[in-house]
Amino acid sequence: MAQDELSPSTGAQSGAAKSSDGYSGAISSSVSSGSAPMSGEIAIEIKNLVKRYRNLITREWVNAVNDISLDVHKGEIFGFLGPNGAGKTTTIKALLGLIFPDSGDVKVLGEAPNNNAIKAKISYLPESPYFYEHMTAREIINFYASLFGLDSRERAKRADYLIDLVGLASAGNKPLRAFSKGMLQRVGIAQSLINDPEVLFFDEPTSGLDPIAHRDIRDLILHLRTEGRTLFLSSHQLSDVELVCDRVSILYRGKIRKIGRVDELVVGGNVEILVKGFKTTPALAAEITGLGAKLEQSGPDTLIIGGSDNETKNALIDLVRRGEAQIIAVTPTRRTLEDIFIETIREGEVEAGEATKFAEASTTEALEVK
Amino acid sequence: MGTVFTLAQGTFGEAIRRKILNIFLVVALALIGLFFAFSSFSMREQMTITLSTGLGVITLAGVFIAVILGINLVPAEIEKRTIYTILSKPVRRHEFLLGKFLGGLLTVFVNIALMGIVFILGVWLKTHSMDSQVWQGVIMIFFQMMLLCSVALLFSVFVSPFVNFFLTFAVFLLGSMSSITESLAHQDGHKSQIACDFFWFVHFVIPNFGNFNITNPIIHPDVQVQNMGLYMGQTIIYGVIYSIIMLLIAILIFDRREV
Repeated sequence: MAQDELSPSTGAQSGAAKSSDGYSGAISSSVSSGSAPMSGEIAIEIKNLVKRYRNLITREWVNAVNDISLDVHKGEIFGFLGPNGAGKTTTIKALLGLIFPDSGDVKVLGEAPNNNAIKAKISYLPESPYFYEHMTAREIINFYASLFGLDSRERAKRADYLIDLVGLASAGNKPLRAFSKGMLQRVGIAQSLINDPEVLFFDEPTSGLDPIAHRDIRDLILHLRTEGRTLFLSSHQLSDVELVCDRVSILYRGKIRKIGRVDELVVGGNVEILVKGFKTTPALAAEITGLGAKLEQSGPDTLIIGGSDNETKNALIDLVRRGEAQIIAVTPTRRTLEDIFIETIREGEVEAGEATKFAEASTTEALEVK
Repeated sequence: MGTVFTLAQGTFGEAIRRKILNIFLVVALALIGLFFAFSSFSMREQMTITLSTGLGVITLAGVFIAVILGINLVPAEIEKRTIYTILSKPVRRHEFLLGKFLGGLLTVFVNIALMGIVFILGVWLKTHSMDSQVWQGVIMIFFQMMLLCSVALLFSVFVSPFVNFFLTFAVFLLGSMSSITESLAHQDGHKSQIACDFFWFVHFVIPNFGNFNITNPIIHPDVQVQNMGLYMGQTIIYGVIYSIIMLLIAILIFDRREV
C-alpha cells in the first residue's frame, strides 16, 4: 500500500470544530462515505481459538475464549463486540502474538502473528494507551518509527505528517505528561499509522473521549476504510460500529453469539400506525393481536405497533379501515445494533441459565454500551 | 541492534526521571559530603573511614537504585500497557528484554558515576592525592550493580515486583556473604551432609557479590591483593558472564510468557 494513500485532504481542516482538548485534525474533514474496496482475500483468520485462564481463587479453569472461528476479509471494517469480560481483548492479544492459544489457530495476512514480517504490516491501538511521558508527541512517533528501522529523515517526515493528521501540530513538541486523554488517544492513533499498516487492531479507540475527539476518531476510521485498510475494531460505541463497520460479531462469555453484515442483522424492525377515531371491537382487537401487533390507546389516538413486513403492514391497515379510523401516520421503525446486542446478550444469559440475573446485568451492560 | 538501542534510550529517559531514584542519589550525595566532616581522627584514620564509608554508601544507594529499577523494568511496561504497542511492532522479545536491561544499566551507570565523581573529587580535595582504590572501588560497584540488576530482571519476568524486591535483596545479602556460605559448606563433622550440600548449592548458584567489594582491603590494609588489575579483570568477567547467564534465562522464560 503506497504511503501516499494515507494522505488526508488537509485543505478542509479549517472548517473542523475543535475538541475540548483544543485539537482537531484534518481527519474529520477528509472523510467520504464510500465503502471499502473489499476483496475476497482473508486478512485475519481465527480457527477454533480457545484460551483458558485459571481463576486464582477458585483454581478453576475458565474459558476466556471458547472455540471461536471467524474470517475478516481484506479491506473490511470488522466490529468485534461484546460486554466487558467477553474475551475481546484476549482474542486481539492472541492475534498479535502477545498471548498463545491453548488450542486453535490464528493467522494475520496468512501467517502466524509473531512474525516480524507480518508485524511490519499491522498495527495495534490498545485501550487507554500509555506512552513514555518524558517524550514529546514528535519524539514518541520517532521512537516507534525507529522500531520499524526507518532512517532519521523518514522518521522525521512520518512524525510531521502523522502529528498533523491527528491534529496535534501545535502540541507536537510538548511532553506527553501535559496531554489530556483525548490528546494521548490521538498520539495512539498516530503511532498505529507509522508503518502505513494493512491491518489495524483498534481496542476501544473512542473510550472516554469528548464528543469532538470522538467524532474525529470515528471519521479517521471512515477515512481508513476508504483507503482499503482492514480494521478489526473492538468498541462499546455501538452507534459508531453500526456506522463504520461492514460486519460485526457479538461475543459473549468467550463464544460468538452472532455474526453477520450490519444491515442484515438490523433488519426486522416494526411499523407504527397512528390512527384517529378507531372503533375497536373485541373481534378487531383479537385480529390485530393475532397478527402479533399491539394496540396503545392515547385519548382519541390509537397507536398500532406491528411487524414491518408488507403482508402484516397491509393486513393491519385493512383492519384499521374496517374500524373506520383515519390514518395519520405509518412509520417504519428500524432496529439498531444496540437492540441486537442487548437481545444477543439476553439470549446468552438465558442459555447460561442466568435469566434471573439478567435484569440487573442487562441494565449495567446497556449503560456500558451507551 | 538498532531496536535494542532505541528501547534502551526510551528506558533510560523514563528511568532517569523517576523521582524515587533521585532521592537515593541526593541522600547518597549528602552522606558522602557528611563523611568529609570527620576531623577528630588522625589523617590516616580519617582516610580509612572516609574511603570505606563512602564506598559503602555508594554501594547501598546503588543497591536500592539497581533493585528498584530492575524489579520494575518489565512489570511497569506490562502494567502501563506500553509493552503492547512495542511488541506488536517488529520487535522480538529478546530485543525488548535486552533494551530494557541496557536502559536500566545505563541509568545505574549514570547514578553511580555521579556519586563516584563527587566522591573522587571530595577525596582529592581532602588529601590532594588520589588513591587508585577509590576509583577502582567505584568501578567494581558498577559491575556489582550490573550483576544485581540482571538478577532483578530475571526474577521480574516471573514474579511480582513486591516478591522480587525481597528475593533480589536476599540474593544480594547471601551473595555478599559468599565466604560464609563457602565455609558452611565444608563438612566439619557437626553438620549433616544435606546441610553441607545445601550450602554448596547456595554458594555455587548465588552470584558472589562479595568479590566486588574491595573496601575490605581499605579497612584492612594488611590484606593486599597481589595484582589488582588481574583481580578486577577476573571479577568483572565473572560479573559479565553471570549477567549474560541471568539474561539468557530471563529471555528463555520471557519468550514463553504471556503479556
